Amino acid sequence: MSRNQHLVLIGINHTTAPVEVRERLAIPSGRLADATRTLVHRPGIREGLILSTCNRVELLTLQEEGSSSGGDLLGFLHEYFAVSPSAITPHIYEYREGEAVRHLFRVASSLDSMVVGEPQILGQVKESYTVAREVGAVNGSLDSLLQRAFTVAKKVRSETQIGSSSVSIASVAVDLARKIFGSLERKTVFLVGAGKMSELAARHLIQQGATNILVANRTLERAEKIAAQFRGQVIPFEDLYDQAARADIVITSTGAPQKLFGRSHGQHFLQSRRNRPMFFIDIAVPRDVDPRMNEVEGCFVYDIDDLQQVAAAHLSNRSREAAAAETIISREVDKYQQRVQSRGAVPAIVALQQNAEAIREAELARSAKRLVSLTPEQREAVESLTRSLTAKLLHPQLTALRAAAQSSEASPTNDSE
Amino acid sequence: MSLLWLRVAVLLYGVAALAVLPAALYDRPRWNKVAIPAAVAGLLFHFVSLAEMLNAAHHRLPVDTNETQALLGLLLAAAFLIVYWRYRTVSLGVFVLPISFLLGLVPAFRPGQESLPFSQFHTGWIFLHIALLLAAYAALLLSLLASVLYLIQERSLKSKHASRNASWLPPLETTDQIALRSLLFGLPCMTAGLLIGSLIAQQTIGPSYFLDPKVLLSFAMWVAYVVMIYIRRHSGLRGRRAIYLSGFVFLVVLAVWSANEFSAVHRFTTP
Repeated sequence: MSRNQHLVLIGINHTTAPVEVRERLAIPSGRLADATRTLVHRPGIREGLILSTCNRVELLTLQEEGSSSGGDLLGFLHEYFAVSPSAITPHIYEYREGEAVRHLFRVASSLDSMVVGEPQILGQVKESYTVAREVGAVNGSLDSLLQRAFTVAKKVRSETQIGSSSVSIASVAVDLARKIFGSLERKTVFLVGAGKMSELAARHLIQQGATNILVANRTLERAEKIAAQFRGQVIPFEDLYDQAARADIVITSTGAPQKLFGRSHGQHFLQSRRNRPMFFIDIAVPRDVDPRMNEVEGCFVYDIDDLQQVAAAHLSNRSREAAAAETIISREVDKYQQRVQSRGAVPAIVALQQNAEAIREAELARSAKRLVSLTPEQREAVESLTRSLTAKLLHPQLTALRAAAQSSEASPTNDSE
Repeated sequence: MSLLWLRVAVLLYGVAALAVLPAALYDRPRWNKVAIPAAVAGLLFHFVSLAEMLNAAHHRLPVDTNETQALLGLLLAAAFLIVYWRYRTVSLGVFVLPISFLLGLVPAFRPGQESLPFSQFHTGWIFLHIALLLAAYAALLLSLLASVLYLIQERSLKSKHASRNASWLPPLETTDQIALRSLLFGLPCMTAGLLIGSLIAQQTIGPSYFLDPKVLLSFAMWVAYVVMIYIRRHSGLRGRRAIYLSGFVFLVVLAVWSANEFSAVHRFTTP
C-alpha cells in the first residue's frame, strides 16, 4: 500500500445488525463475482473484496487518495442491493488503515465470529479471495494483505487452542467417542428411538467413519425410514437387550417414561463384549439410561446435561484462548504496518543502490588495464570484494531510509509535510 | 569418548523429557519438534556410547548394574519412539523419557568397574540373553505405564468434567492396544532370553544353577507373565484390574532384578 492509497473496510455483522438486515445484503455465492466486479469498477477503488456469510457482509477496498471512501461504499450497498440508506446506515461499521488490517486478521482468525474459533470463516474468506482474484479485483497490495491474513489465521490456530474443542452437542458426543475408541472406523452405532438430535449425532459419527448403524424404534415404520437414511439395519424393539451388546455407541432418545437401560444391563453387555468399552449417549428427557450404569467399568454414560456442560466448558476455554489470539493479532498488525511503511522508501533505496553499482562498475573499468594480468579467480575475488564494500558502505544509509519512512508514515504531522 | 557420548545422550533425554511436557500436557504440538528429534538424537548417541564402551572394555556386553541400566534406558527410549511412530502420541514420553534420563544418569558419571568371568566364546549369547530380557522388562514397563494412562483417561471420562478432561492422553483403545501389544512383544523376548540363559548356565555351571533363587524367581516371573497375557487376552481385562495384574508382575520383575544380591552363581550381570 503506498501513501496515495487507503485501506477502507465497511460492513455489518451479527453484532451490529439483526438477521432481517443481514439477509437483505447477503450475496449468494453465484453472484459474488458480479458484485465484486461492480465494486471495483466504482471510481477511486483500485482493489476490492466482498465477504458475504450468514453472519456478515463486508467490503474491503483499497482506494485512491481523495476518493470519497466510506461514503462511496455505502452508496454501492444502497445501489447494488436497492435498500434505503436509513435501513442500513445505523448498522454499518467502518475501519481504516491499521484498524481495517486488525479487523481482517480477527475475522480470518475467527475471533469476530458468533462462535469464536469456528473453522468455517477462514474458508469463506479464502473463497471470497479466490473470486476477487478471478475477476481481477485483487492483484497488488490487497493481495499481499490477504495472504498475510491467511498466515496469521493459521498461526492463531496452531499457537492457541482456540479451535481445538467442540462446542455443539453433536460434536461433543463425537469428540467423547473418539476419546474412547480413537478412530470410529468400523464402529457400530445403535440408535434407540428416533429424535432429531440423535439423528444429528449419528450423522456426525458416520462422518467420522462409523459404518454399522442399528436402529430400534417402537414404531417400526419410523425405524425403517431412519435405517434407510443411514443404510442401517432395523432391530425389532423387543430384541433391544439381545442386540445392544453389538454396539460400541448407543444413542437413546425414546419418549419412554422409565429407564430402558439399568446398571445390570451395562454389566451384562460388558461381559458379553469381553469388557470392550461402550458409550451411551442419552439424549432423552426423561432419561433412558440409568446414570448408575456409568459406575460399571467400561461403560460411559453421558446424558444431555453432561454433554451441555462439556460444550459450555469448551466454550469458556475458547474465550480464554481468544485473549492469547488477540495478542498474536496485535503483534502481526504491527509487523504488517511496519513492512508497509518501509515500502515508501523503496524508490530511494533502489536509486541509491543503482548509483553505487554504477560507481563501482566505473571504477573497475578505470582500473581494467591494471587488472588485466589477474586470473579469472582473482578477478572474481576483486568483483566480490568491491560488491561487499559497496553493500557495507550503503547499509547505514539504507537502514536510516527505512526507519525514516516508517516514522514519517506513523506520524501524521510528518505525513502532511 | 564413550562417556562423553553417554553424557550427551543423557542431556538429550533430559531435553526431550522437558519438551514432551508442554507437547503432551498443554497440547502444544510445536514442542514435539524438540522432543522427538532430541529423543532420536539421544538414542543414537546412547547407542554409539554403549557400543564404544563395551568395545573398549573388551567384553562387549553390559557387566554391571549401571551398564545394564543404561541399556534398559536405551530400550525404553526406543520403545517410546516406536510407540510415537505407530500411534502418533507422545503421552507415554511424560513417564518414559524421564526414566531413560535417570537410568542413563548414573552410568554417565560412574562407569562400571566389574570384570567378566565368562569366556569370550559365550559373549554373543550372553549379550543376547541380557538384551532380550531387558527388552521384555522394557515392554512390561511400557505396558504398565500404558495401563496407568488408560486408567487416568477412564477416570477422566467418567468424571464428566470437561475442565478435568485428560485431553493430553491418547484414546482408551489406543492405550489398551499399546499395553497389550507391548506384553505380546515382551513374551517371546523373555522366553528366548531365559532359554539362552539356561543353555549357557547348563554348559558352564551345570544343573546346580537351576536351584539358584534368582533363576527360580526368573521362571516364576515367566509363568506370571504368561498368566497375565492369558487373562488379558481372554477376559479383555482393562483399567484398574489390568493395572493390578501388570503391577504384580512388575513387582516380580523387580524381585528378579534385585535377587542378584542373593544369587551365588548369577553374579556377572543383573538380569
